[in-house]
Amino acid sequence: MSFPIPFAVISASSDTTVKVWNAHKSYCMSTLRTHKDYVRALAYAKDKELVASAGLDKSIFLWDVNTLTALTANNNTVTTTSLPGSKNSIYSLAMNPAGTVVVSGSTEKVLRVWDPRTCTKTCKLLGHTDNVKALVLNRDGTRCLSGSSDGTIKLWHLGEQQCIHTIHVHKEGVWALLANEAFTHVISGGRDRSIYMTEMRQSKNFALVCEEQASILKMVPETDFTGIWVATANSTLNYWKLPKKEDLPVSSLGADHLVPYSETPLKTIKGGAAIRKQHVLNDKRHIVTQDSDMNVCVYDVLKACKVEDVGKVNFDEEVKKRSKIVYVPNWFSVDLKTGMLTINLGQDEIDCFSAWVSSKEAGLPSPDNVDSKINYGSLILKALLEHWIAASQIQDDGEDEGSAASQANQTPEYFKIPGHTPLIISEVVGRGLYRLLVRDAGGDTEHHCLRDNLPPWVLDIIVEKNMPKFTKIPFYINPHKSSNMKVSKTDRLVANDFLQIHKVAEHVLEKILGADTTGINTGLGSSPNEEQDNLPAEDKIELVCNGQVLDPQMDLRTVRHFIWKQATDLNLEFKTNSKRT
Amino acid sequence: MGPNISALEKEIGTDRFPPNERYFGLVNFGNTCYSNSVLQALYFCKPFRDRVLEYKAKNKKNKETLLSCLADLFHNIATHKKKVGSIAPKKFITRLRKEKDEFDNYMQQDAHEFLNFLINHINEVILSERPQANNRAKLTSDAGGGDNHSSSGGFEEPTWVHEIFQGILTSETKCLNCETVSSKDEDFFDLQVDIKQNTSITQCLRGFSSTETLCSDNKFKCDNCASYQEAQKCMKVKKLPMILALHLKRFKYMDKINRHVKVSHRVVFPLELRLFHLSDDAVNPDRMYNLVAVVIHCGSGPNRGHYISIVKSHDFWLLFDDDVVDKIDQSTIEDFFGLTSDHQKSSETGYILFYQSRDSSDPKVNSNDCRQNGK
Repeated sequence: MSFPIPFAVISASSDTTVKVWNAHKSYCMSTLRTHKDYVRALAYAKDKELVASAGLDKSIFLWDVNTLTALTANNNTVTTTSLPGSKNSIYSLAMNPAGTVVVSGSTEKVLRVWDPRTCTKTCKLLGHTDNVKALVLNRDGTRCLSGSSDGTIKLWHLGEQQCIHTIHVHKEGVWALLANEAFTHVISGGRDRSIYMTEMRQSKNFALVCEEQASILKMVPETDFTGIWVATANSTLNYWKLPKKEDLPVSSLGADHLVPYSETPLKTIKGGAAIRKQHVLNDKRHIVTQDSDMNVCVYDVLKACKVEDVGKVNFDEEVKKRSKIVYVPNWFSVDLKTGMLTINLGQDEIDCFSAWVSSKEAGLPSPDNVDSKINYGSLILKALLEHWIAASQIQDDGEDEGSAASQANQTPEYFKIPGHTPLIISEVVGRGLYRLLVRDAGGDTEHHCLRDNLPPWVLDIIVEKNMPKFTKIPFYINPHKSSNMKVSKTDRLVANDFLQIHKVAEHVLEKILGADTTGINTGLGSSPNEEQDNLPAEDKIELVCNGQVLDPQMDLRTVRHFIWKQATDLNLEFKTNSKRT
Repeated sequence: MGPNISALEKEIGTDRFPPNERYFGLVNFGNTCYSNSVLQALYFCKPFRDRVLEYKAKNKKNKETLLSCLADLFHNIATHKKKVGSIAPKKFITRLRKEKDEFDNYMQQDAHEFLNFLINHINEVILSERPQANNRAKLTSDAGGGDNHSSSGGFEEPTWVHEIFQGILTSETKCLNCETVSSKDEDFFDLQVDIKQNTSITQCLRGFSSTETLCSDNKFKCDNCASYQEAQKCMKVKKLPMILALHLKRFKYMDKINRHVKVSHRVVFPLELRLFHLSDDAVNPDRMYNLVAVVIHCGSGPNRGHYISIVKSHDFWLLFDDDVVDKIDQSTIEDFFGLTSDHQKSSETGYILFYQSRDSSDPKVNSNDCRQNGK
């Protein structure tokens, strides 16, 4: 939803912000956060250097372009005026070049007209039967064209406050409109993927300009009106030739048998494929995706990058093939709204720190060869904020040279994330607060902005260096009925959810069997020799759940999820291993 | 019959008394009027009564269920040697109290909750008595499937309870960004209707299908857009049932006083009804309905007061107040529309309306209905 002005581009987004960009140097000059919901429409009055923005928060704000382009990241306060009185979400907006008329279209199904010089309502125009999604004003602001989800285009006389013509060319909603400078012809596109050129006052005279692959979102004309650039719901941009107005109608056939004026676009700017499907694998680390070209890929969340191109294979089968019997708690959620994978942490009541995994499993070297536990959430936060943490340390204790040296010696405790990975901090409801690239987090400005915007639960881990809490699982251990053993009472035990079964076996050996007098040693062989003592516990003790013998490497949460499958406390049974006697 | 002809028989006129028809009151066992009123209304929903009596004729030696108790009760009424009188539904109430804890006491219950329970329960009984259902249940447990063998499964052959009461609602959601419409069907045994003061059922049903916009913090997650977008959602009836049970939501929960309060709004219910604003792919949009029975709540709250019912039998109306049966004039139905003033809390108001489709007496349409259900 961009809008060109001499040195800059202004854009409006569903992240609720309006941004001003320097198009030459390609960076964001400032971000306007006045809107409270998705911003759906922008309008520009060229002669007055005035911009209007509107959206789902029902408000319209007016911005002075010269003030906006003078903003910097630090000096970003700007005053705005608003046009009051809208009752519904606004989906379209238009302003004439002189900035004397603003028109808005909304789910209220009416057009509202304002004088932006006085910020007063002029009138309300009724006639559409559904949302109004596209608007165009003529130069002097006396005529208006509107395109609606009801499938019609209406031409309005603003002075007489009435509709003077209704154009029925589209089969579905009209989403984009253009008019020539003389305001005699309209070019329209929408949900039905077709672009038509129609004579406004003689709507019999029309031509099918072209048929696109997806619904039409936006059109921009060549200045001499010989062609148009078209943006659709796909990522590719096409340039199409326009018929001459004198040539209308191009075809005299009925609307169902129209032959398009051109079959193929003159120019194409190919866009990348968008990810349309995703499945998070059981390890809660790898994600299988499928894009709009049907290519299947595998991504590693911890490395924030693609790790495998599988090619054009069956998505569901690939997911099935890669699913393992392992249970790791959810620690993030995924969305695809940008066409790429967006990993959300701390959202939808998912505990970002719920997943503990052994460093061996994660594929990270562990210090001193001890199999230590790592937390996925804190791991990825450290990786994302690597440059910020480094910059903080230099600022905080620049004189302490030892710390930098000791850090260099440490084994990496996380995976490196590509520097171009965007990091977005947003409110729970999705409003963006701050966005930057991972590699820029060490910069002066970014450093301060991050400090101001990072949520407390992140600072607690990164700055205070607190450890996330372990997740505990309560369970019971009883002797298996085949063992004929009697244990006086069964205590309710509590352990970390990643505790592996061989550890439980050790506990059984030491605490349950070992605590008793030697007489109970019957099951383990009455005269234990040294060789047998050296055997690991899992070879002496077998643990059983729901009648199934458990793999010593399996952890408690996997046992509970895949084998116990009940909401009640996990119940394990042990027996001495018969094969080893 | 003998010489002692009852007052009711006199009023109807012995010569005009419908042949093979019985009018029996039901004895109250202590606040069981919620059950009595609903049972009477159901007895006079002809398709339902016929199916229950048919069940009785076919299933002589089955073990006792709530359905078998209901069948015995209906059978006792239908085959009674007297034409009028009263009967004690003792076995039925005893069984009911065994089946559901909530009814196992002497408190007043909500008649709609009872109706809802009864219809669902007898549907489950029918399903459980089907031979193939048992086989299938066994098969799934053999295969180790943990899936709940649910009675409402879409692939099940419909029961006669489905054929009589079940309709289909469809909720249509249109994303305002991509304008894709997604719809989801759900079955219903009755429609819950929000009511407003000085309106009619037709108006209230219109509110039922009014459009709701999902916006601001309540946006719709659109699969096509892969994001949250504004959307418009509306509920529409897709299939009209043979007997349309309308539940007027007359008990409103008040936060302030922490209990339900009766809403006595005047809502006119016509003797003939046609539904509008059905979905575009509705199965039977032109169905016309006749009012056949009304359960009436008298009093000021859900757990106090009294339930009675009025029913249409042949061409006149009767009022059943537990064991008492009276013939009433059609014009007195107006008395049960509700109150125009909101100050009075206590009232005698229509609570559950039973409309029977006109075509349901035609056996051809009946079988048609089964086929539609079965697909």
